[in-house]
This record gives sequence, structure tokens and C-alpha cells, in this order.
Amino acid sequence: MILNVYRRGQLTAIANLRWRMFVNGLRTKRGKMELVSRIVVAIVFAFGGLGGAAGMGFGAYYFVADNRPEQLAIILWPVFFFWQLFPLMATAFTNNPDSSELLRFPLDYRSYFVIRLAYGFFDPATVLGSVWLVAILLGIGVARPLLFPWALLVLVTFGLFNLTLMQTIFAWTERWLAQRRTREILGVLFILLMLSFQLIGPMTERFRKKPPPELKRTVEIFTQVQGALPPGLAADAIARASKAEYSLGFTSLLFLGTLTMAVGYLLHVRLRMQFRGENLSESVARPAASTEQGLQVGWDLPGFSQSVAAVFEKEMRYLARSGPMLLTLIMPIFMLLIFRLGPANPMRQSSFFTRAPDMAFPAAAAYALLVLTNLVYNSFGGDAGGIQFFYASPVHFRQIVLGKNLTHGAILAANTALAWIAVTYFYGAPTPAISIATLDGLLFAAPLNFTAGNLLSIHSPRKRDFSAFGRQNVSQTTVLASLGVQIVIVGVGAAAFVIARFYKNLWIAALVFLVLSAISAPLYVMVLRRLDGIAIERRETMIAELCRA
Amino acid sequence: MNSAPTISTQGLTRRFGDLVAVDGVNLRVAPGQFFGFLGPNGAGKSTTIKMLTGLLAPSSGAIEILGLDLNTDPVNVKRQIGVVPEGMALFGRLTGAEFLSFAGRMYGLDRETAAKRASELLDFMQLADQPKKLVTDYSHGMQKKLAMAAAVIHGPKVLFLDEPFEGVDAIAAGTLKSMLQGMITRGATIFLTSHVLEIVERLCSHVAIIHQGRLVAQGSLEELRAGVEAQTPAATGNNAQASGEKMTLEQIFLHIVGGERRTEQELSWLG
Repeated sequence: MILNVYRRGQLTAIANLRWRMFVNGLRTKRGKMELVSRIVVAIVFAFGGLGGAAGMGFGAYYFVADNRPEQLAIILWPVFFFWQLFPLMATAFTNNPDSSELLRFPLDYRSYFVIRLAYGFFDPATVLGSVWLVAILLGIGVARPLLFPWALLVLVTFGLFNLTLMQTIFAWTERWLAQRRTREILGVLFILLMLSFQLIGPMTERFRKKPPPELKRTVEIFTQVQGALPPGLAADAIARASKAEYSLGFTSLLFLGTLTMAVGYLLHVRLRMQFRGENLSESVARPAASTEQGLQVGWDLPGFSQSVAAVFEKEMRYLARSGPMLLTLIMPIFMLLIFRLGPANPMRQSSFFTRAPDMAFPAAAAYALLVLTNLVYNSFGGDAGGIQFFYASPVHFRQIVLGKNLTHGAILAANTALAWIAVTYFYGAPTPAISIATLDGLLFAAPLNFTAGNLLSIHSPRKRDFSAFGRQNVSQTTVLASLGVQIVIVGVGAAAFVIARFYKNLWIAALVFLVLSAISAPLYVMVLRRLDGIAIERRETMIAELCRA
Repeated sequence: MNSAPTISTQGLTRRFGDLVAVDGVNLRVAPGQFFGFLGPNGAGKSTTIKMLTGLLAPSSGAIEILGLDLNTDPVNVKRQIGVVPEGMALFGRLTGAEFLSFAGRMYGLDRETAAKRASELLDFMQLADQPKKLVTDYSHGMQKKLAMAAAVIHGPKVLFLDEPFEGVDAIAAGTLKSMLQGMITRGATIFLTSHVLEIVERLCSHVAIIHQGRLVAQGSLEELRAGVEAQTPAATGNNAQASGEKMTLEQIFLHIVGGERRTEQELSWLG
């Protein structure tokens, strides 16, 4: 009894802690803005959630009333995917505080486990997933009132499974994120997952091309496999009960319950390790003998000062050690591949690039520049505390920025060259006119982006975690300004190409871009020269923002 | 104190809104001094050192380092100083050797010299045995040593250190202290803040104390001791003075900032 009072006191204190943290966060302007944003997001979620709930409720009613309850799996699978994937893909909207910080207090393990699950209850994915399950339950209940209690039991088990799995994924992800190597592997896997989603469309097109018997067989296999997985098991448990096959329905529910327990066990294993005070230190054993290494002389960059070359080398090394960032940079090639796979279906109209292959290289080059904006518009984000070093060193800020821009330029050049090779392979070699026009276009667009990016990197810096996946802490000002610059560039670029194609002479576009680059390049130099003063004015903001823990 | 000061400030002030963090500070640090800058938490130590190293703009006042105005000639000043700021200012995704080589080149060393000194410093700091380890994976103490190495790689004439011994083990602290003493012997000036008064007392020849943003004492340890002893008659209960022992820096510090020690008897429920 005393222990229960003790535990209740702890849980109340933790709830109060979360509440005070929320209220105290509102003291700052940023906190208030955050609240407004959360309210807007909540309204959007409410609309999306209720709309989805209505659809799912109606769907459940339809399948059960139409005597096809096994097809409930069609709506349970999206619930499952949303519940598990949304928290990973939209971490900005998730609510998953680090519960391990509570371990300094005398919590018993059961309280710790309960708190961890309780945190999950307040996650938007759980809230929406639960609302949808309630709607599905109501749909079933309206269609077959006698099925309601059984469906309630099955859907509660399914909900518990989802909640436990989500927390298990987070708990294990946290563990892998705690160490640099596993963190980077996870980041790469995450990007590969995102890339594979991009392939779903083109692959579906190809899949449809299969002859009907083969397609039918594939669908049969898929149906059998999904039936053994949680959404299929939940649908089967309800379907069997509706057909009075109670023992089979109970077996499916039992399987679902067993899976929930198994996932819960995995969560228990992880939380137990946390509770016992695991050590995730990355210190490695010292080598037996001192490792002799020759002198590592830094890179030389002909025509540039030592400091510019040093910054260039540092930026390149940073990029090379960021798997996720490197993968992002190959996106233009990937985009071409997706476009190439897309039009494989003869039933569909051929894609834009098949009809206008001369536009593939400009589009890929433009995309190469676009993926760089992440780096260019927050170029100090990865430096974190290192920004103090820049300010303390006897180097003009413009030299530091120039070193960074040279890195961006080198990546853009490499990416453009790769895009040219990929376009040649997929669509045939671009003509000299289109190649020159594209390069001229980059000569116009890159300095313009670098100019805006340099200013915004100093005005609205945000600390970036190179290895984190999902959403980064992004400045909304930067997002809007960068969007504006891209709209201008794409608009001007498209207009130049439209005019050139109208006159059937792509050299016109090359000329237009050359003239425009004669404006954007001096603009870049002019702003670069003024960066020293701007950086000095903004030093406190930059240091405070980038050195934030 | 006839020679031109290495570090001097006049009316150095920094406001954060209504709060005056540093209020009209006039500092003078002579060449070759090992200068300790002390104060209670929130007194303005870190704010002052940030202003002295160009990391923070003063609201008013002037700063001269080695006779150069920091405001008008910051690059020349920074070329001759080394800094270990509060956050250590490291680049986590470089190895120790890469970071030191980078730091050297940013301070104007050529590639070969930067690489050679980086190697020597890593050896000296006992950081050379894990060459592939990234700075982000270093322990706190190793990061402190690396930050110190980066601050001295160009052989600065003036070194600013904000809590350099925090989180450093006894062996490493000994190494750092001997390096700093060596620098002083060769004519460098060191400006150091620390909460560990024993370290300051052992290392520093001169001390300044800041309290609530104002400079309340400045001089050699002997001068400070004499000043405090003159204000504190033996009869008023100064134990050290009464017993003929020298006052420790801690006693001087507590006397000057008026620190009142709470005794644990006030928390009678503590075991």
C-alpha cells in the first residue's frame, strides 16, 4: 500500500514535471510560436484524423455488412503503417521524451515501464490510430451489433500491439542512435527506406505488366503472408467470429496476443538494460602499442589561401563522414532512374523526359542544385560549437564562407557531371547547346543560391545533427526565403527554355543564362565582401544558436 | 607595472537588456603574468573573457591586447592570441590530428608546419594513440586537452583559458600546468578563469576578482593579501591572521566578495 502511494506520488510528480516544462516553454516568444504551430498542426491533424475515421468507419461497416469481414485487413494495414511509420518519418510531430533521464530517481522498474508506455499514449500517431480503431469498431458494431464485444477485444489487442511496437521501435532506435556508428548505419537505412518508397510507383507500373496468372499467384502469396501478420490476424479474428468459426477466430486473436507479448518482451529487454544502467560509451580499448602514423599534411587548394583550403578540407571531411548527407546528394541520379522506370508501361503516356529528352539534363542539374540547398542555406549548422573557433580565429569570415561555398560548388560540379553521364545512359547524350545552356544556368543559379544561402546561414542558423534522420531543426524564415529564391530561379530558367524551344534554338537559353550569370556572380562577390561585418553583428545569435546543447 | 600592459580594458561594460553583466571593468595585465580572473557564479567572468577574445561585443568600453585595439584590428589581435572558450570550440567530426592541423592553418601556419606541430601536440597531450578516433568520441577530458592544444598550436603570445582544468584528470592537469608554466617562462601571458581557487593560487602570480559585474580587486596575490589583512584586524576573528599563517586565496576571495558559508546544521534533517 505504502509502495503504491509512493509510486503514485512519483507518477504524479512526473506528470507535473511534463506540465511545468510545457508551461515554462511558453515564457519565450519561440515557445509561444511553438504553441501556435502546435495548435495549427493539431487542427490539421483533427481534420485528417476525423476524415480518416469517417472513411475507415464506413469501410468497416461496408465490409462487414457486405459479408466480407476478412477484407477489414485492407483498412487495418494503413492504421498499422501510419502508427509505426509516422513517428519515424515526422519526428517534429512526435512526442517521445527521453524517459531514461528519470533513472536518477528511485523509480522501480514497473513504474519505469509504465511511464514509457504512458509517453506513447500521448503520441499523435497513437491518438489518431486509436481514433481510427474506434471508428472501425463503430462501423463493425453498426453493421453487426452482436460482433461488437468480440471486435472490441480484438481491436484493443491490435491497438496494444501497435502501441507496444511503436515504443519498442523507439526504444531500440534510441539505443542505436546513442552510438555514432550505429546511428549512421540507421541514418543510411532510413534514407534507403525513403528511396525505396519512391520506387513503389514505377515498380507498381512494372508489376501491372505481369501476365494475369502470375499476377494472381503473387496476390495469393501476399494475401497468405499478410494473414499471418498483426493487421491480417486482427481482421481474420473478426471475420472468423462473424462466420461463427469461434475457435479459429480465437486462434488468430491468440496469435495476435502472442505477438504483442513478444514485442512487449523486446521492449522489456531494452528498458531493463536502460534501467540497470547500461554503458553506451564509445571509448575503444587503447592499442597495445602506440600507432605510428606519418604526418597528415592538409590539402592544398591552388589559388586560395591556407585558411580557405583548410575550411574546404574540413567541409569535405565532414560530408564524407555523413552517410545520410552523402546519400541525399545522389538523389538527382535516383530521380532520373525513377523517371526512366516510370514510362515502362506501354499503356501509359510516355513521361515528360521521354517526350522531351533534351530537358532531362537541365532538370537533373536543377535538382542537383536543389538538394544542395539543405547545406547552402544553413552552412554553419554542422559546425555547432566550432563556430566559436571561427570567431576566435584570425580569419576574415568571408574566407570561411568562401571555403564552404567552394565545397558546395565542387559537389554541384561532381553531381552535374554524374547527372550528364546518367542522362547520356538513360536518354542519350545531351546536345552541346543543351549542355552549355545548362552549365550557364548553373553559373546563374548557383551564385544566386550561394548569396542567399550565405546571408541566411548567418541570419537564421540552426544547429544540424549530421547523423540524425527525420526532420532537422529548420528555420521557417530560411525555408520561406529559400523557396522564394527557387521559385525565381525555376521561373526564369523555365521561361528561358520555353523561349529557346519556341525559336527551336537552345543557344538562346545559353545566352540568356550567360547574361544573367553576369549579374548573379558580381552580386555574390559583393555580398561576400560584406559578410565580415554582418557576421560580427550576428555573432552572439550565431554562437548562442549553434552552441545550444 | 611600468611596461605597456598585454591586456587592458577601459570601462568595459556589457548589458543584456536591463542586466548589466559587466560594469565598467578596467583591467591591466602585464606581459609575462599568469593572471587569474575570479568571481562567484554569474559574476561576469565568462562574459568578460568572451569580450576579450572577440566572441562577444562590448556594450561600451575599449579593449587593447598587445597594444592593438580589438575593435578596430581584430584579425591582428586574434593572430597573436589563443583561446579555450567555455564550449571548447571543437569540430566533432574531425580526428584530433585533422582538427589540430586545421587549427594551425587557420592561424596562418603552412601545411607542413601545422601537421608537424599537430603531431607533436598530440604526443605531448597523450592523444596520439587513437589517431582515427573522431573528436566527438573523445571523453570530456580529452576534448579539453585537444582544445588546449588547438589554442597553442600557433605559439600565441597571450592565452585565454576559460575553466581549463574542469573535467581534466590529475595526470592531464599536471601535463597542462607544466606546459602553461613553460609558456610563462618563455614570456607568454596567460589569462585564466577557474573556480578552483587552489589551482589559481598555485599557478597565478596576479589575480583580479569580479563580483556582480564590477571589478572589486586586482593585483598580485601579496598585494591582495596585504589589502585584506589591513582591513581585517586580528581581533575580529581572522583565524589565519591570528595564528600568524598566510591567508589563503579562498579566505581572501570570501572576504572580498562577502561570501557567507552556510553550515549544514541549518539542514538538520540531512543524514
